[in-house]
Amino acid sequence: MAGIRRRDRLAVAAGLRTGVAALVVLAAAAACGTAASTSGASGAATSTGTSDAVTAASQEPAGTISETGSSLLYPLLADYWAPAFHAQFPSMTLKPAYTGSQTGIADASAGLVDIGASDAYLSSGDLVKNPTLLNIPLAISAQTVIYNLPSLPADKHVQLDGEVLAGIYNGTITTWDDKAIEKLNAGLALPPDPIVPVVRSDGSGDTFLFTSYLSTQDTTWNNAYGYGTTVKWPPVQREMAVKGSSKVLTTCENTVGCIAYNGISYLQGATSAGLGYAALDNFAGQPTTPTPTTIADAVASFVSITPPNETISMIDGPSTDGYPIVNFEYAIVSARQPDTAKASEIKAFLTWAITTGNGAQFLGHVEFEPLPPAVADLAKAQIAEIGS
Amino acid sequence: MTATLTPRTQDGRAQSGRARNGPTGRSGRRAAATATTPATLRTLMIVLVLLSLLWGAFGGWVASQHSSAASALTGVDEPLSLDARQMYASIADADVTITTAFLVSSAPQLAVLQHYQFDIAGASADLAKLQRGGASESQAANAALQTLVESLPVYTGYVADAESEYSLGFPLTGGSFLQVASEEAHLVLLPNANTVFTQENAALAAASSQATGLPTVIAALVLALVTAIVLLRAQRWLTRRTNRVFSAGLVLASLALLISVVWIAAGFLAARSNLDNGIDHGSSPAQSLAQASIKVQQIRGDAVLNVISRSGGTSFSTDFLTAKALVGPGSGSLLAAAAAAETGGSPAANLVAAAGQQATSWYTANGTVYTLGNASDYRHERDAVIGTQAGSSAAGYKVLEGDIESAIGDDQTTFENAASAGANALDPLEPVVITASLLMAIGSAWGLSRRLAEYR
Repeated sequence: MAGIRRRDRLAVAAGLRTGVAALVVLAAAAACGTAASTSGASGAATSTGTSDAVTAASQEPAGTISETGSSLLYPLLADYWAPAFHAQFPSMTLKPAYTGSQTGIADASAGLVDIGASDAYLSSGDLVKNPTLLNIPLAISAQTVIYNLPSLPADKHVQLDGEVLAGIYNGTITTWDDKAIEKLNAGLALPPDPIVPVVRSDGSGDTFLFTSYLSTQDTTWNNAYGYGTTVKWPPVQREMAVKGSSKVLTTCENTVGCIAYNGISYLQGATSAGLGYAALDNFAGQPTTPTPTTIADAVASFVSITPPNETISMIDGPSTDGYPIVNFEYAIVSARQPDTAKASEIKAFLTWAITTGNGAQFLGHVEFEPLPPAVADLAKAQIAEIGS
Repeated sequence: MTATLTPRTQDGRAQSGRARNGPTGRSGRRAAATATTPATLRTLMIVLVLLSLLWGAFGGWVASQHSSAASALTGVDEPLSLDARQMYASIADADVTITTAFLVSSAPQLAVLQHYQFDIAGASADLAKLQRGGASESQAANAALQTLVESLPVYTGYVADAESEYSLGFPLTGGSFLQVASEEAHLVLLPNANTVFTQENAALAAASSQATGLPTVIAALVLALVTAIVLLRAQRWLTRRTNRVFSAGLVLASLALLISVVWIAAGFLAARSNLDNGIDHGSSPAQSLAQASIKVQQIRGDAVLNVISRSGGTSFSTDFLTAKALVGPGSGSLLAAAAAAETGGSPAANLVAAAGQQATSWYTANGTVYTLGNASDYRHERDAVIGTQAGSSAAGYKVLEGDIESAIGDDQTTFENAASAGANALDPLEPVVITASLLMAIGSAWGLSRRLAEYR
């Protein structure tokens, strides 16, 4: 059924879309089919004629796959996936870039890159304007709320909830020893330091996730500011707006009293720089820190209801032990590529990413979790829709 | 008149009375001609009977074609076109209703949820009617209807998922399901509903031209003319060959032909005039207004999409500018076309004028949605879309859509009255032509057989 609907959409899209301009210079001329789908193409293939027979490097798609978008996904792509993928498939090279989720969506929509990376799913508006776009989960991420309070012991986590965070980000809670924070943290010696909230200045999936959490836990915030990759932040004294996850981290490192939201892929950097991270209240009011268990618990309740296009918000879900800000890291890809060679390259990489690439040897570096099998199956079905 | 007195031709048939009774000393040529008079009479009789029956068959067919096309216009095509427009409107309204309901509150009022259910029930009913109706003639419409049959439950399923998540206290997940539902509505349901509407309009236009088309009527009149010429020449020939001034049978046939031709021509002209009037001042403005209504619903739906699209940077502001220019009321717009087609001073004309004024002020209210959206001012953007106070986008949309709906209703009444009058004028033509053709055949056979009998 999902396939039928997608075809209907693409049929409609065919009339709307004037074609994708492939501005990326590709070395794809030598590409000769897809390792995933070509059967019996190898001269050496004998009796099976299945894709298993097509493993020789000469049969692999070749070329450069360009990617831009989420700065949260960037460390995984740049430092771990790109080298490993190239090592396994020398004819293909992944070229990631670091621009923010909103740019990732926009550039993938415009055909400026092969893959856009986003921490936020495509909005209805993006999809209606660009009906050929798919959002394909690659891994599970979580968002951390980090702070710079050197006086606190490293093994303690300040407990926060959406209402308190909303109070901090709308300027009604201005110091760390505010009663609202103390109420949640009995026994913790909170300093009287002024709070310096850090926000993202660029269109960011992290902002989308963080303001989603505020919106679901605090009705006032939802009605006043809502959630999005960009929001109209209320004016708050001392607030700093910076571009990109790395800058968020360094800003917080350099600012005592800072509080910031950042992807879990930057958590190791934060803790090694002496920053703390909060235990966030989940839907059940249970304070939780992001661990493999709490993240997997949070996602588990959404697996069976994830729709075929995998657009789903998992913020503040029903799991009593789950961490409240978890999300799929999405690859934003057009189902209609300029040619079959490009389609094959993209499919080859995405398939690798959700299988081999989901191994702990890669995801462990950035604290991501692998996709649950049912979600990976939906992702595979979406990848199969990519063509030319 | 005995066999011994009657000269026989080679084939043993009686010679003509003229040859028997005529003056002596005529030329051989004349003698040869007169020798074939009974054969000619027989041939004439056959030809006239066949022509009469042909007139009945062809004239009757032409009359029935126009009559059934005119009836189909009011009985089938116009209602199906109306159903298609209503189906589009119901789906568009359902999506806007349910989406804005959850923008207002995680627990929408029962009346709003019932409004959504009412829209879905209406769309389903129209879908069923369209499937039973004449859409089977169009492959594109059939394919679109089939997609709608499969996809409407998918859409309502996503909405049900959203409602469930909201009611359980997970508004973000509910919101993401509503997004998926809206995508289904905007990418699958509405484009296919639009295809059905376009196809039904094409069928309506085809039925209109069939009901008012001239070619078969002209062909029928040419046939009538040929029959009339043969009848006249036959009577002249008979007058020359016999001492009778006229043949009662042929006169009867001629009168029947004349009456049927005059009737069919007058009936057709009256029907054509009625139908043209109905199409020009009823159906045509209704179609322009229906298209305007669809565009207005698109503008409204896009504004709602603009609010719920919280990730990415997509804006529908450019689409809005294009759509509002198309709706009008400026020159070359759909509202201008409707205004030009309405009968001056009619209630529909007044409604179209009101719609034009309303549209202009609504555009201003709707335009603020994009200004606020581009500034990421979610609260005011959302309020601009869901606010119901006078002057708000939602209120303006309702008034405008109401004016357009009412004008379409009036136009449809105009069209139905005129088309019914046209169909009424066409209805009796078929029996008239068939009766006339039988009278002609009987008259011709009777008149000529009486002459022929004189040779026995």
